[in-house]
Amino acid sequence: MSRIIVVTSGKGGVGKTTITANLGSALGKLGRKVALVDADFGLRNLDLLMGLENRVVYTAMDAIGGECRLDQALVKDKRQNQLVLLPAAQNRNKEAIQPTQMKEIVSKIALSYEYILIDCPAGIEMGFRNAIAAAGEALIVSTPEVASVRDADRVIGLLESHGIEKINLIVNRLKPDMVQMNEMIGVEDVLDVLSIPLIGIIPEDKRMIVASNRGEPLVLGQPDSLPAIAFDNIARRLEGEKVPLLDLMAAQDNIINRLRRLFRT
Amino acid sequence: MTNVTKYLSLVNSYSQVHLKLEGEKLLLILPEGDKSIIDWWSVVDELKCRLNGSDSSWKSGTRVELIANYALEEKQLQGIAQALEEFKLKLKLVCTSNRQTAIAAAGSGFSVQQEPHLETVVDSSQTQSQELAEPLYLKTTIRSGMEVRHPSTIVIWGDLNPGAKAIAAGDIFVWGRLRGIAHAGSGGDRSRHIVALKMEPTQLRIADTLARAPSANPERFEPEVAYIATEGIRLAKAMDFFKTHSFSETIGAWR
Repeated sequence: MSRIIVVTSGKGGVGKTTITANLGSALGKLGRKVALVDADFGLRNLDLLMGLENRVVYTAMDAIGGECRLDQALVKDKRQNQLVLLPAAQNRNKEAIQPTQMKEIVSKIALSYEYILIDCPAGIEMGFRNAIAAAGEALIVSTPEVASVRDADRVIGLLESHGIEKINLIVNRLKPDMVQMNEMIGVEDVLDVLSIPLIGIIPEDKRMIVASNRGEPLVLGQPDSLPAIAFDNIARRLEGEKVPLLDLMAAQDNIINRLRRLFRT
Repeated sequence: MTNVTKYLSLVNSYSQVHLKLEGEKLLLILPEGDKSIIDWWSVVDELKCRLNGSDSSWKSGTRVELIANYALEEKQLQGIAQALEEFKLKLKLVCTSNRQTAIAAAGSGFSVQQEPHLETVVDSSQTQSQELAEPLYLKTTIRSGMEVRHPSTIVIWGDLNPGAKAIAAGDIFVWGRLRGIAHAGSGGDRSRHIVALKMEPTQLRIADTLARAPSANPERFEPEVAYIATEGIRLAKAMDFFKTHSFSETIGAWR
């Protein structure tokens, strides 16, 4: 039984695509057969982050329209051969396909892959409905910002009303130093509103941006970096392993910060 | 509470979807709001959300009768039937005065009852004077973007999150955190209350008055009740409210 997981957030720019790329690679490292599906029709990005842009020949649209076989549209990753990408059509918009078509093609992919990660577009319109049509579970991405949490909450409500019950939260771009100084809302505050299980926290890291621009997921490029370890841990948690959360605050809890906090309050 | 002098107009407490248990069967009423703004997706979403929150209220396999007077297509009817099926409910009968809906229902294999005078069942203008319906009990978190409307009292066993709205002609009880917008007595009844275990609202509205929370919310750990006093909406400890306050019809406020 393969697991079909949609990565969604409501708000744009919180890191859905980056998380899809890295988590896919991390699951690949664990030896799983993974298919990444870019559901962001008209604004595709996932191929760029995976560094596979120049290998795209057919897109999901061609496979749906019967212009190519499904296996022709699936792009093999250049680093891991059990990882494939189904690119979105760039020239079409989100109304070009129907939820039933999306469901059909994803269930075909599910026959030969263990994990299917669907990168959902921002918003809650047609593109969102297409992306969640086939999903059995969801990963909600939220940054520790009020607007992001609000949108995530809306999306969780929509997912629940579509019968998706297994919903986990990834808090992305946490800046431990700012949380420590009470300048940023913390993970507890996010959980307090969303009240869904937390599956991982990804700290903010400059190397993420560099890796994205190079088209090389950080999980593979710099496996020892803190975000990469966080991704590996999320992959293991998806597999059912019990992995404790990284203590991101530890490095911040030094004597100088304690004193600074003391004088601020 | 900071009170705002602007007064609210009366709000229709009927939502786009209304569920009512009548003996062994469940009535699903889709009231006819402003036809031009009926957004079909949101109707289905609201139906699912409502089913999700109150699925313990009826037995599985309960027979459902749909009452809708606007034009529905076969696909939309099937969408409703499918949503109901997810919660183990069976759509059997479609009551409608609309010809297109009747034809679509017959085409999808549902029993049809064509009745021209159904408007009276769901006419919102006369519900205010009628006795209130049974309370609505929801065991779920009401999340941002959701709006729960009910012509009687609403009880929520969960949080009312920021961005969410509850509108009741009766009282509102939130057995959790109230952080969104709650509007009690939406039909104009100034004696209604809003009660929450933890009161952190964006706005509170009772009948035609409105108040927003002070920007610096003092931390309180007791259940609180909001009511209309002479100077506007006030908060009090929920525990002793009825011992210390009584409603005065002449000034239309509690004291």
